[in-house]
Amino acid sequence: MRKFRQQIKRWVTQKMELPADVMMDLPRVTMIGQIHIYIENHRGLLQFSDKELRLLLKQGQLLIKGEQFVLKTMLPEEILLEGKIAQVTYLDEPGK
Amino acid sequence: MKNQWTNYFSGYVQIKVTGKLIEPFLNNCVRQKVVIWNLTRQGSTTVTGYLLLEDIHKLRKIIRKSDCKLEFIGRKGFPFLVKRMISNSGFIIGIVAALVITLLLSNMVWKIEVTGANPKLEHDIRKELSQMGIKRGKLHFSVPNNEDIQSELMERLPSISWVGVRLNGTSYHFEVVEKKVVEEPKLLSPRHLIAKKKAVIYDYFIEQGQPMIKVNDFVKPGQLLVSGIIGKEGKTEIIPAKGKVFGEIWYKSHIIVPLETSFNVFTGENVTKYSLSLFKVTIPIWGFDKIQYLQYKIENIEKQIKFLKWDLPIVYRKQVIREEEEHIRKYDKQTAISIAKKTARNDLKAKIGEEAVIKGENVLHQAIDNGKVKLMIHYQVIEDIASPQPIVQGD
Repeated sequence: MRKFRQQIKRWVTQKMELPADVMMDLPRVTMIGQIHIYIENHRGLLQFSDKELRLLLKQGQLLIKGEQFVLKTMLPEEILLEGKIAQVTYLDEPGK
Repeated sequence: MKNQWTNYFSGYVQIKVTGKLIEPFLNNCVRQKVVIWNLTRQGSTTVTGYLLLEDIHKLRKIIRKSDCKLEFIGRKGFPFLVKRMISNSGFIIGIVAALVITLLLSNMVWKIEVTGANPKLEHDIRKELSQMGIKRGKLHFSVPNNEDIQSELMERLPSISWVGVRLNGTSYHFEVVEKKVVEEPKLLSPRHLIAKKKAVIYDYFIEQGQPMIKVNDFVKPGQLLVSGIIGKEGKTEIIPAKGKVFGEIWYKSHIIVPLETSFNVFTGENVTKYSLSLFKVTIPIWGFDKIQYLQYKIENIEKQIKFLKWDLPIVYRKQVIREEEEHIRKYDKQTAISIAKKTARNDLKAKIGEEAVIKGENVLHQAIDNGKVKLMIHYQVIEDIASPQPIVQGD
């Protein structure tokens, strides 16, 4: 049932050219070079250190690696991270 | 995102959170809408960040539920600055005192310069000034204004003919013009002496020249009195005539003295009010009493307050309110007449000069009419009527 709903949503989004992050509860990630990364629509902080930031998403997790991380702001669904970002990785939920 | 610099005014603290489960704690913070910014990991179990002063009690509630320990490691912003200022009050007192002292010193007399006077007169002027309250170290408020100083100085020191008073910042400049004793020029040009006024010759004293008149002669204005041409015919010499010719002159003066005069006099009662005007808004400082006088006159004394060389938009104002009273002066007939005579005599004396002598006076006519005494007085005055007339030498 859930999968079916997802598929419908994806279809509607593609056909009607609606913004994907709104329709499908996906994170919107904005990066400014290597120094800033701005993540909206996350579901909470899982791990934070100066080399790694792990965020919970609706589906899966987002892993950001780099150096000298500073969490500039933390709001309910937004995070602004500063530092030297090396990589951004999506991790699928294990077991799905 | 919130503007960072406004945080400065509400104040913020730097916090240090120690514990194993920091991330759940941070998530809780976000859920409770406690904003923490500039979070950095310090070690495996510590995180530091900044927090608004007003969110501290919210954070305390959250931290109690978690396993983390909270520490405050820094205080920043305006409220803490104020606190520090209060604890270091000596510093603030110093700043305020410095400002006050500068303000006071800017409104003080620092220098009195006198130019154009000889040392003795300068000494006298300085003495008079210090008597009037103009001394080094006096505040400008307590000093009379320039016009008053000027008239006062000219009144007190008869040997100056003019004094210019200028207040330049904190120093007074007095520019003095001394009265010069007019010396008669040694070398007189050849001249006659002629009559100034219509008179009867009373007496004469000729130093040089040929008198052309005798005692009891009647002279008209412009008539030759003493000739500057002396010597026998053919051997004449032209010299400057010098001397005095006293003539008897008749003056008639009319004078009217009202029997009743009303005028306003000060009763001596007064109220002084002080106020400061700031941008034309007047703030009273002292003297809040209502004025209960029926008639009064207000005297305003205003002083501009200066800071270093600038005029501040603050004016110090002293208001003296003096009570007035209508006073009616009544004379009976005799006193009115005697006062009329006296005033007439004084008027005449002022008109004829110091050397003249009033020889006699006669009341010609006297009437009381409409509450006024009218007098017509005749005076016989003896005065010098000679005035020089240069001899124009032809060819």
